[in-house]
Amino acid sequence: MFVVLAGAGSFANTAAWRKFLMTQLIRDTYRYRELIWALALKELKIRYKRSVLGFLWALLNPAFMMLVLTLVFSTIMRFPIPHYAIFLLSVLLPWTFFSQSLSYAVESIVTNGDLIKKVAVPKLVFPMAALVSNIINLLLSLIPLAILVPLLRHPFYWTWIYLPVPLLALAIFTLGMVFFFAAANVYYRDVSHILQVLLSAWFYVTPIIYPLDMLPARYRWILKMNPIIYVINGFRLAVYYGQLPKAPSIIASFVCAFISLFIGYSLFRKYQNNFVFYV
Amino acid sequence: MSEPVIRVENVTQRFRLIQERPDTVRELFSKTFRNRSSYHDFEAVKNVSFEVPSGQTLALIGRNGSGKSTMLKIIAGVYRPTTGTVTVNGSLAPLIELGAGFHHELTGRENILLNGLLMGYSKREMLERQQDIIDFADIGEFIDSPVKQYSSGMYMRLAFSVAIEVDPQILVVDEILGVGDIGFQEKCFERIRRFRAAGKTILLVTHDMKTVEEHCDRALLLDHGNLIADGPAEETVAMYKTMMIPEAVGAH
Repeated sequence: MFVVLAGAGSFANTAAWRKFLMTQLIRDTYRYRELIWALALKELKIRYKRSVLGFLWALLNPAFMMLVLTLVFSTIMRFPIPHYAIFLLSVLLPWTFFSQSLSYAVESIVTNGDLIKKVAVPKLVFPMAALVSNIINLLLSLIPLAILVPLLRHPFYWTWIYLPVPLLALAIFTLGMVFFFAAANVYYRDVSHILQVLLSAWFYVTPIIYPLDMLPARYRWILKMNPIIYVINGFRLAVYYGQLPKAPSIIASFVCAFISLFIGYSLFRKYQNNFVFYV
Repeated sequence: MSEPVIRVENVTQRFRLIQERPDTVRELFSKTFRNRSSYHDFEAVKNVSFEVPSGQTLALIGRNGSGKSTMLKIIAGVYRPTTGTVTVNGSLAPLIELGAGFHHELTGRENILLNGLLMGYSKREMLERQQDIIDFADIGEFIDSPVKQYSSGMYMRLAFSVAIEVDPQILVVDEILGVGDIGFQEKCFERIRRFRAAGKTILLVTHDMKTVEEHCDRALLLDHGNLIADGPAEETVAMYKTMMIPEAVGAH
């Protein structure tokens, strides 16, 4: 027992371990947690500054959006899907988080360029802060959804308690993408425009407004190439169907999430010391 | 006064200058086909080495574009040098551009915390020093207003206070000592004197030779990125002045 612990201790001290990418990410995130949190709060504060209702808008915005969607889909456009609003929102909210985080973060290094040129500040805090502020928004938007579910007489499933798991996978997946696009945009400002095009196309190839089984079975493999399906699938299952995803689907979601994080962060880390020359 | 707190070894900083960015698509095409290399490399600092012993007040002087500010930014960790190494022992507070981390919509108080976190201090440390910072800035009830409502003087006072009150071991100052009114300037120099008396290290870039002679132990003269003189403040200043005379005369 003692030998094992000593062995683990010396492993933790080796340079190889310290160089391991994910260890660095976790260490830096922990070290700069106060700064990341302060920047995220700053972003939210500024978004709602000088409005009478202030922070309440973080709740009212998704609430009004849901109200509109519910009215539209229960009266004007009718789908053969019961409680379509819940069906839609259960995936639309995580998707909105994903696309908003990317839209904010893609510019995060460039807009903080003045700061980067003057203070020795760790670059990862800017995309991280964009992600954190959007996580707060996503969590707040789940509150009006939880109110809407019983209002529409949709069953409130116990599977809601499973939501932290897909939330974690989604956050990790998004973080990787955020790192990738924030870094790429420093070198080519076209990236932020390409991202918008990419996101709107991606929205339609993801089963958000339609169910996965709407497509004929022989084309369904195309959708299965889309990594975000696995990541957001858990939301619809838990909220709308009251089911838990099967183990392979959960594993696939975390595999996709960590691949995204690995690629995004290794690129970001490789180029971060040069950002200052290009912003 | 022995162990060096800053050691700069063979540092070169190369920048890639982009020339004539194409503004229109048509220009982009014509440029791309005519001449592919639309940039050239520029060395802002060339193979510079020096050491700063603990407790010394050191000035970097030289004409505009000689590489002084680049050197400070390398020491402050903003740039990673192209070649060479910089070692800094001790906490360092950069006053490179005052209020760089300030956000216009946030209040003075909120900005104190954010700026401190950006400089690498913890929230607890900043809250402990908050009152000292507010007292030093002395801007009254404006502390709880968004900084966009500040006069430029008040903005500078607050930014200077944040940097100086965090009590670093090494202070790096870039041409900003003349901020605020005469009263505040005197307060700043008073603080610099106390800083020196406490045995701390100061690195200073300025064009005010009186400040150099009065406050600095030693001065480095940079010219086109080369370190051309290193010695007692008065001697280096005298050399700089003789160097500048032909240019001043030639300008007439």
